[in-house]
Amino acid sequence: MKQTSIFRSHAVRSFFYLALPLAGAVVLGSCSDDDEPVKEDVPELITTVELTFTPVGGGDAVKVTATDPDGEGTDELKADGPIALKTGTTYTMDIKLYNGLLPETDEEYDVTKEVEEESDEHMFFFSWTADLFANPAGNGNIDNRQDPVVYADVDENGLPTGLSTTWSTKEDASSNGAFRVVLKHQPELKSATSGYNTGETDADVSFVINVTE
Amino acid sequence: MTIKVVMLMVALHVCMSVVAQPCQGVLTGQVLDETGALVAGASLSLKGVSGGQLSDAYGHYRFEALCNGRYTLVVQFTGYKPFEQTVTLTDTASITVRLVPDMRSLQEVVIEEKPLNTEHAHNLAVLNEKQLEETAGKTLGESLKELPGVSTIQTGPGIFKPVIHGVHSQRVLILNYGIRQEGQQWGADHAPEIDPFIASNIVVIKDASAIKYGPDALGGVIVVNPPELPEKAGLGGTFNTVVQSNGRSGTVSGMLEGGIGGHDGWGWRVQGTAKRAGDYHTPDYNLTNTGVKELNFSAAAGYHGATYGIEAFFSRFQTEIGILKGTSVGNIDDLSNAMEREPPQYTRSFGYDIGEPRQEVTHNLFKLNGHLNTSRGILRMQYGFQNNARAEYDIRIGGLSSTPILDLVLNTHTLETEWEVTTGPSSTLCLGATGMIQENDNQPGTMRIPLIPDFTSLSGGAFAIVKFQGGRWDADFGGRYDYRHYDVAGYNSKNILYKTNSQFHNPSFTAGATVRLPHKQSLHLNVSSAWRPPHVAELYSTGKNLGTGAYEIGLLLDTASNVVDINQTDFKVEQALKSIITYRRDWQDFFIEVTPYVNYIFNYIYLRPEGILRQVAGPAAYFRYTQTDALFTGVDITGQWQVAPAWKVTPRASLLRVTDERQHDYLVFIPTNRFDLGVRYEKKTLSRWKDFFVESQVRYVLKQYNAPRTITPRQLNDAKGQGENLLTDGGNFDFQAAPASYALLNVAAGISLPGEKLRYDFRLGVDNVLNTSYREYTNRLRYFADEIGRNFIFSMKCIF
Repeated sequence: MKQTSIFRSHAVRSFFYLALPLAGAVVLGSCSDDDEPVKEDVPELITTVELTFTPVGGGDAVKVTATDPDGEGTDELKADGPIALKTGTTYTMDIKLYNGLLPETDEEYDVTKEVEEESDEHMFFFSWTADLFANPAGNGNIDNRQDPVVYADVDENGLPTGLSTTWSTKEDASSNGAFRVVLKHQPELKSATSGYNTGETDADVSFVINVTE
Repeated sequence: MTIKVVMLMVALHVCMSVVAQPCQGVLTGQVLDETGALVAGASLSLKGVSGGQLSDAYGHYRFEALCNGRYTLVVQFTGYKPFEQTVTLTDTASITVRLVPDMRSLQEVVIEEKPLNTEHAHNLAVLNEKQLEETAGKTLGESLKELPGVSTIQTGPGIFKPVIHGVHSQRVLILNYGIRQEGQQWGADHAPEIDPFIASNIVVIKDASAIKYGPDALGGVIVVNPPELPEKAGLGGTFNTVVQSNGRSGTVSGMLEGGIGGHDGWGWRVQGTAKRAGDYHTPDYNLTNTGVKELNFSAAAGYHGATYGIEAFFSRFQTEIGILKGTSVGNIDDLSNAMEREPPQYTRSFGYDIGEPRQEVTHNLFKLNGHLNTSRGILRMQYGFQNNARAEYDIRIGGLSSTPILDLVLNTHTLETEWEVTTGPSSTLCLGATGMIQENDNQPGTMRIPLIPDFTSLSGGAFAIVKFQGGRWDADFGGRYDYRHYDVAGYNSKNILYKTNSQFHNPSFTAGATVRLPHKQSLHLNVSSAWRPPHVAELYSTGKNLGTGAYEIGLLLDTASNVVDINQTDFKVEQALKSIITYRRDWQDFFIEVTPYVNYIFNYIYLRPEGILRQVAGPAAYFRYTQTDALFTGVDITGQWQVAPAWKVTPRASLLRVTDERQHDYLVFIPTNRFDLGVRYEKKTLSRWKDFFVESQVRYVLKQYNAPRTITPRQLNDAKGQGENLLTDGGNFDFQAAPASYALLNVAAGISLPGEKLRYDFRLGVDNVLNTSYREYTNRLRYFADEIGRNFIFSMKCIF
């Protein structure tokens, strides 16, 4: 094929080649306009903390939840309750964590198992209005890690995790107050002395608690 | 004016024939261009005397140890006619060199290959080859700190972001090899993805006059200039090695370039840099997880002919940077603990390991540019493709730490054309058009709602600049119109898809003049009105900031986190009116430059604290992108005093005050007032050695007194516990009071060993000699840890 004279000029040819990538760019730009971003699963996001107090001797379980339905949005966390317990009763308390941005059928909906699998770097801490329980006594281990809390589970290093705990209310006195649960993530930091001030906070929720006859 | 790059003459190492009798004559002066602006990097020599030199950042030169007699000074600078003047020397003599543009050379070579350089700028500062050599091993941002009016926003010891006259990120344009650097620059923890070893000089333009580069340079432009490609056959290169005690780091960088035998005009260059650093340390403790790995590569080839030239360039920048582990916080209580704890949590002994949190960034740039000389003017054209990938990792649950929380790929195509014609004996006209297509894609699989959405951006602009030249003055006027369109698709905080779009368009104007006054005085004035399209991050961000555990929410999200249409809000584009004057005066042994400026930014976008949000993870502060009017007022002062033939004293000051004019308040993270005093002893020849110097620098940085109020996380949290929100008044605040004033002492010495074919430059420096513990107000990690302690730096450069 015969070349036109203008194309024989080096300069003009150079500019033609220069313009080629731009043509590519335009094509590339227009092709991807219809792309829709992929929806992410957000397995580590906890929108709901559920506490279930089950009487050891049988009876109705008490369930409370704290929910933040908009995840990382500015809407406030809402806690229901109160935690209505009976005097003179021993309860096993189990904690469940959910990601409400996923459908309940989703494998990642239940975040509790992530914490179970990494129990060697997670730990729950608790605080409550002083002397609410016969056992554990005191006001919990958030202010002082060595204060009593009755953990009912251990991780692979023999340290408590707190997904399951045991609580005994006092025989006689009715009382009410506050109950706070904190989950700390302590990668490479969890030890027999690591407390509330160690690591990063994954959950921190509070409820009103009433103990009646 | 035009600052051109002059390749370092390999011929500098001419063997010295040492003259026996001691001669003490000195010839000094300054190199200016036709507008009276200083010329850095011009090559100077004396006929019949071996050895030459380059003019320094202020255009100064100095020949020493001359015998009395007649000398002819020869000055050469690309794009200008060679300058020659003969002088009779009796002990001292001075020649002011005024270069005249060489129209023939302008049309023939090199200059057109730099279509996008610093033309029309009146207020600028230059980091020349020598100064770059002295900052070797530091990042681009940290190197630029040496210039008056330039400071940094820092995220630990490895991430430096340049700040010009108090503004940064989207308001500072970086030109890398003539191409607008397009990376994820919206965050204060996103450092420019440029290897400083590729530059032969870096120019900082401190006004908005450089409108041909784009509309958004409200604060200024940083121009990274590469050396010119060789045009003749031959092989040359450099090899750099830098080792530092703090961080136990090592950097090697090499460059090889040459022409092609029998094909004059053709040239090529390849260059690469590798860097590795471990944990830095303060005087008292280790900064665990602050190491850096970096690997960069670039290649260029081109042809420069009589009527046209063409050049291709490719570069790759790749880095992995650790962020201090102790900054990991989940809520405001954690932040409070982290701020009160010293040393930071997770502090361990030294290591090179980089764990979470960390960033992985790669930036690829491909560029093609060319020019064509016609009888009707010069046509220049350039195309650039940039591929920027940024992944950020954090400590996560569920085994997700090795999955990034943020994984973005940004592809940018730019095309620029420009037509320059001489319209009269003393006037030129330049017309141009630019186009940009940009696409940001979140890479699937982060298991996290993306902090910024996917977007496609289309931009176009056109400009015209006229230049007039008179006897004692010259002036330029420019105007430009730009348009930007965004198509956005992302997920809100409830993980629900939204799609939206927005358009912005506006004009920009600039007017500048240079007046040459008697007694070697000059005045450079510039007034400009610029605007900036908002970044998508400022409009639609939703998520947590790694540094402070605080949440950042975009301008176009309502209180329920739903995206609202831009036309239904009172959003207005950011516009700046900047006025800047540079006054220079040169006495025999003293040079002074004073640069006062005022920059009023209307509808200034910034993150304003709005409240505490309560989540399952506990309370966290949240900030919303908001608009206000901000006033930046400051002055840069630089002096150079030749106390004695070998002694130079350089005082320097940068003062700045920034106010939030709508709220009558101050803004946070504004660079503080600083003063420098440098003392340098130089000896040009020391038997076989050359260019010996010893210098010391004292830097005094004042506490930021113009800071907003302090509300500690503990106060916020306690108030929240009692149902109060301390942030309802919308006033600005900082989590911690501004750190105290500090003084630092740095010392350095260097020497050069010229040989037959090689030249070696050695430098040994000690930064923070007294191992002072201090915190820098503009370091985002100041909440958690001190700055780095004493640092020994040894560098060797070999030029062949």
